[in-house]
Amino acid sequence: MNALLEVRSLRAGYGAVQVLHGFDMRVNEGEVAVILGANGAGKTTTMRAISGMIQRKGSIVFDGEPITRTPPHEIVRMGIAQVPQGRGTFTDLSVADNLRAGAYVHKGIHIESDMREWYDVFPRLSERREQKAGSLSGGEQQMLAIARALMSKPRLLLCDEPSLGLAPIITQELFAILQRLNTENGLTILVVEQNANLAVKIAHSVFVLETGSIVASGTADEIANDDAVRKAYLGY
Amino acid sequence: MGQLLQYILNGLAKGSIYSLIALGLVVIYRGTGHLNFAQGEMALFATFGAWWIHDHGVPLLFAITLAAALAFVGGGVIEFGLIRPAGKKSPFAVVVVTIGLFQALNSLSGLLFQGAGTGLPFGTLFPNKPNDFFRLPGDAIWRYENVGVLASVLAITGILFALFQKTKVGLAMRMVANNPDSAKLSGVSTTRILMLSWGISALIGAIGGALVAGINTNVNLATMFGVFLLASAAATLGGLDSPLGAVVGGLSLGVVESLVSNYPKDWWASSYVGADTSVAVAFLIILVVLLVRPAGLFGSSRVERV
Repeated sequence: MNALLEVRSLRAGYGAVQVLHGFDMRVNEGEVAVILGANGAGKTTTMRAISGMIQRKGSIVFDGEPITRTPPHEIVRMGIAQVPQGRGTFTDLSVADNLRAGAYVHKGIHIESDMREWYDVFPRLSERREQKAGSLSGGEQQMLAIARALMSKPRLLLCDEPSLGLAPIITQELFAILQRLNTENGLTILVVEQNANLAVKIAHSVFVLETGSIVASGTADEIANDDAVRKAYLGY
Repeated sequence: MGQLLQYILNGLAKGSIYSLIALGLVVIYRGTGHLNFAQGEMALFATFGAWWIHDHGVPLLFAITLAAALAFVGGGVIEFGLIRPAGKKSPFAVVVVTIGLFQALNSLSGLLFQGAGTGLPFGTLFPNKPNDFFRLPGDAIWRYENVGVLASVLAITGILFALFQKTKVGLAMRMVANNPDSAKLSGVSTTRILMLSWGISALIGAIGGALVAGINTNVNLATMFGVFLLASAAATLGGLDSPLGAVVGGLSLGVVESLVSNYPKDWWASSYVGADTSVAVAFLIILVVLLVRPAGLFGSSRVERV
């Protein structure tokens, strides 16, 4: 299969503290990949390294183009959209303006029709389009954050712990939408999750991250059948 | 009645200047959370620039326009060359840099422009002969110049509002103001937006400086001190991140100042609470407002559901 994202000996951190100690990772076009790991394993750091929000070393290649030194606002243009941890909506802006903000990298003509398309997928947002994003519930804000990222028409969607702080039923709804985006729209998705059971269910491949290194990886089935990983992350 | 109207109109004239400088402060504060202590002196330097260009035979309106355009570029250069490197160290470093800039621009003005200390004559863009005024009910008069200054300020506010709400670059500015990380992740070059914010702020300041100098018919090294003090108070009153707040804050501060400096004098035929205390009273009102509404009249208090 065609690798959309290829990461080699990725090292990154904050100031003098190195968090990622050089690992390889590959996400194929059209698949859902999941990164599992405990708190502090480096999951968010990995996401921020890919989207260019922090300094990183090693090599990150997206669709054949090296992006290791590309600033975040240009990485978006190349087709990677990140939904940061803790929603990352523009709380003072209306729902509609949040979606327009998501389409910042595109010219005007198609924006309004794209917005209608995502309102159909997320009807709750449509009802609240003139409301400030900050006034939405946690689940609605997470939906908005995803819709905002989709407005940039990404080829790769990075989701950093989308289930954080959400009720189980909302989390399920959210993962159903992610799965639909993958199967119906052919979107490649890389998800970081603590809610491993749900994430592994929609995943094609899984990476297990421990203290900045990948300690196990494979297809979702392989990982689910690996005793050690299953006990540590899936809890049964 | 006519007297009250007169005091209010005089207050609006001064207040519109405060509004303009306050708007400049707000534009920068929204983008970076920095209070630019050099706002007044940046405006002063640009005003001296306008004087110099005018002195070389360019009509005043063009001289001010040219100076404002140069201020726009200068604001961007200041952000890029001074503020950004300082910001990488700490927010406190930025405060120190803007205070240093305040001092440096004032000294530089004195050095470059002969006679800046005592004052250089500055013309006005509006008719200001002794009988250039509207006659209003109750013997109040509204000078054309004051009408012109207020109209200019409202026009600039309107343009700024349209820029923020209706244009893509305005959307980017609101994105950076609200959530810089998500702005980057949406494709906004935040560094470019911050440069632009400083440019716009300096441009607004240049116009404000020229209007103050026009009213005073003179520009000197102390022209902007008091104006900046009250403008920063106006921005605080309105809520530092709200352009509307800056305008309302500036105008109401001007009116309060005018009423306080005139009325007690009328009532007691003495000046215990006269002009000298008007600024103190204005600040007292701000103190009370901020006690009740810490984010200012129109500032966002950032209450969010999570």
